[in-house]
Amino acid sequence: MITGNLKTSYGADEQVLDNRWKRLFLFSAVLGLGGIAGFGNDYIILIACQMGIMVIAVTGVNVVIGYTGLMSLGHAGFVAIGAYATVIFHNAAGGIIPDGVLTLVAIPFAVAVAALAGIVVGLPSLRVKGLYLAVATLSANFIILFLIEESFSAPWTGGMNGINTPTPNLLGWALDTRREQFILIAALAVLALLGAQNLFRTRVGRAFIAIRDRDYSAEILGISLYRTKLTSFAISAAYCGLAGALFAYFYARILPEQFELQLSLMLVAAIIVGGMGRMMGPVFGVIIIVMVPEAIKVSFGALAGGGAELAMIRAPLQEIAFGALIVGFLLFEPFGITQIMDRALRALNRWPFARG
Amino acid sequence: MHLKRRQFLATTAAATAGLAAPVTLRAQAREYVIGASLPLTGPFATAGQMVAPALRMFEALVNEDGGIGGVPIRITAEDSGYIPANALANYQRALATEPDMVMYFGDSTGFMKLVAPELRGANARLMGSTSFASELADPAGNPYQYLPGPSYEDQFDILLQQVKDEGGSTVAFIFSNTEFGRDPIAHGRAKAEELGLQVVLEESTREQGADIPTHVTRLAQSGAEYCILQGYVTGVWPQLIGGARQFGLPTRFMGTFWGMENAIADRVTAEAGPILDGYAGVMPYRYFYDPERGPAYERFAAFQKTAFVGTPLENYLPTWGIQALFSLTIGVEALRRVADKGLELTADNAAEALSDLRDWDTGGFFGVPVSMVNNKIGTGRVYRYSAETQLFGPSSDWFTV
Repeated sequence: MITGNLKTSYGADEQVLDNRWKRLFLFSAVLGLGGIAGFGNDYIILIACQMGIMVIAVTGVNVVIGYTGLMSLGHAGFVAIGAYATVIFHNAAGGIIPDGVLTLVAIPFAVAVAALAGIVVGLPSLRVKGLYLAVATLSANFIILFLIEESFSAPWTGGMNGINTPTPNLLGWALDTRREQFILIAALAVLALLGAQNLFRTRVGRAFIAIRDRDYSAEILGISLYRTKLTSFAISAAYCGLAGALFAYFYARILPEQFELQLSLMLVAAIIVGGMGRMMGPVFGVIIIVMVPEAIKVSFGALAGGGAELAMIRAPLQEIAFGALIVGFLLFEPFGITQIMDRALRALNRWPFARG
Repeated sequence: MHLKRRQFLATTAAATAGLAAPVTLRAQAREYVIGASLPLTGPFATAGQMVAPALRMFEALVNEDGGIGGVPIRITAEDSGYIPANALANYQRALATEPDMVMYFGDSTGFMKLVAPELRGANARLMGSTSFASELADPAGNPYQYLPGPSYEDQFDILLQQVKDEGGSTVAFIFSNTEFGRDPIAHGRAKAEELGLQVVLEESTREQGADIPTHVTRLAQSGAEYCILQGYVTGVWPQLIGGARQFGLPTRFMGTFWGMENAIADRVTAEAGPILDGYAGVMPYRYFYDPERGPAYERFAAFQKTAFVGTPLENYLPTWGIQALFSLTIGVEALRRVADKGLELTADNAAEALSDLRDWDTGGFFGVPVSMVNNKIGTGRVYRYSAETQLFGPSSDWFTV
C-alpha cells in the first residue's frame, strides 16, 4: 500500500513501473507470452501473432492520433509499404546479401521507407486538421494501394494477385514456423511499446503532446510545428512499417486487399477503445479488436454448435455482440480500457483503504 | 520349450500387433469433419446465407450414403465476412479444434492464395472453394487445392471459341479492376489472337459503382461485335448492358460463371425490362431447373422440398449453391476413393485421388462425364438468357478445354 509520494531519488521518480502491481502485471504478461510460445497451439499462436503485429501498428497510430492529436485514416497504407518494401528488398537483394543478414537489413529498410512515406503523407497536416486531415490521409491509403496494384509496379509487387513472401532468417536461424515467428513478433512488440513509452519522456515526445493540447501555444513556446508534425508522422509510419515487415514475414503471401480502408479503421478503432495517448492503449485495444471477436466466435460456436445453418444465425449475432461491446465500452468508459485498468491497479495499490 | 531368436521376435511382433489392434481401431475417427468458411456477413452475405443451408443438405445426403468409408461426416462452418485473414483464422481454428478434419471449403480466391503456402505437412488438408482463379490450378506447386470447374481462363477460351463459331471477328473485354476481373485477360488476349479474333478494347472498371456512361462510350467507339464481361457478381454488368442497349449498341454480351445467376438476371429483367435478352455466358454446371437434370439434382430437389419449406431454397438452388455442392462432392469423392483403398485420409492421399477422377459421372452436375486434369475440371457449356422465358437455356454443346 502506498502512504504518500515517498520517492527519494530521481531514478525512482523516473521509473516506468513505479509500483509493484505494475511490475507484477508486466512480469505476468512476459510469462504469458513465454507460455504462448511454449505451449500455445497453432490457432493461439496465429491469433497471438496477429495481435502482436497489430499492437505495433496501433502503437504507431497512437503516436500520431493519441499523442500528437492529428487524425489519420491512412495508416494501413504504411503497413502495406512496410510489407511490400520487405518483400521487394528480399527479392532484389536476395543473391547479394547473405540470407542470415537479409532480414536484419530488410526490416530497417522497410521501416525507413515507411517513415519517408509518412513524411510525404504528413505534409497536409501542416495546413489542415481534424476531419480534413482524416480525408487527406484516407486518400493516401487509396493512392498507396493504387500504386501497388497497377500493372507498372506488378513485377515487384505482384499487382492484384499479390506476392509470396520470404521466410525470415536471423543469422542462420530460419523462422519457418509460426511459433518461431511469434518469438520475433512478441519481442519486437514489447520493444516497440517500450520505445513509445520512452519517446514521450523525451523533448520530441513532449512536443507532440504540446501540439495535441494546443498547437499555437506550442508554437509560441518555440516548438516548430512543421518539423514536429512531420516527425510524428514519420515515427508513426515507421511503427506501421515495422508492423508491415512482420506482416510480410508472417503471412506466406500478401495481397493488396489486406491493406484496405478496413485495416485503417481497425487501427483507429483499436486506439479509441484501448485508450488514446496511453502506452497500454494499443495493447488493450488490440485485445478487444482482434481477440474478442475470436473469443465470441469460439464461445458462440461452443454454445450453438458449428453447423452451417447455425453459423448463418450465429454470424450476425456475433457481429451484434461485438458492436454492443464496443458501444458499451465507449459509453461507460470513453477514455478506453486503459482507464479501467488504471482504476483497478490504483484500487489494488491502495487496498484496503481506498477503492478506485 | 526352447525359442529360437527369430521365433521369439516373430512371436513378440505378433503379440504387439494383437495388442495394438484395439488401439488402432479406437484411433479411427467416429466422424470426419469438413470445415468451411462462408461470407455470412459482409459484401457477399447474400451468397453465403444461401450456401449455408446447402451445406447442411450435403452433410445429410452424404451421411445417407454411408459417409466416407462408413464413417459419417459433419460440416462445421464459420463466418469470414469475405475477409481472407478471417478465413485463414477460421481454418487454423478448425485445425486446432477438429482433429478429424479431412477437408476444408474456402470462400474466396484471396483466402485460397493466402492459405496455399501454409498447406504443408500436418497443416495440409484437401481444399475446395468458390474460386475459379487460374492460378489455383497448379498440382505441382499447390496439390491440395482444386477448382470445381473450368478456370476463368478456360471459360474465356470457351466464350472466344463460341464467338469464332458464330462468325464474330472483334471482341472487347470489360473487367473489374480486381484480381478476379484481371485473372483471364492476358490469356484471353493471346487466345483471341490464336483464333484470329481482334481484341478492340480492354476496359477496366470499378467493381462497384462504375462510371457506366464512360465505359459504354468507349465500347461504342471500339465497335466491338462481342463484349466479354469479367469480375462482377451482382452489380455493374447489368448496368453496362442496360447502358449499351440505351445507347443502341448491337454488341452481344457474354459473361463467366459469377455473372450467370438466373435469380440476378430475373431481378434485372423485372426492374429494367428485357435488356439481358440474348446475354450469354459459361456455366460449368446444369441449371437447377434443367429438364435433363440427373439424379444428384433430383435428390437435392426432394430434400429441399421438405427441409427448406417457405424459403427461397424450397424450389430453387442458385448457381452459387450448385458450385459449393459440387466442390464438396469432388472432395468427398476423392476421400471415398482413398478410404476404399484402405488408406489414411491424409491430404497427400486425397490429392493423389483427385487425379484419379477420370471420366467421372457426376450424377448430373455436368451433361458429360468429366475428368480432373491439373486440379480443375475444364468442362462447361454456353447458356443464353431469354427475357421471355426468364431462363438461361443452353446455346452450345458441352465443351472440354
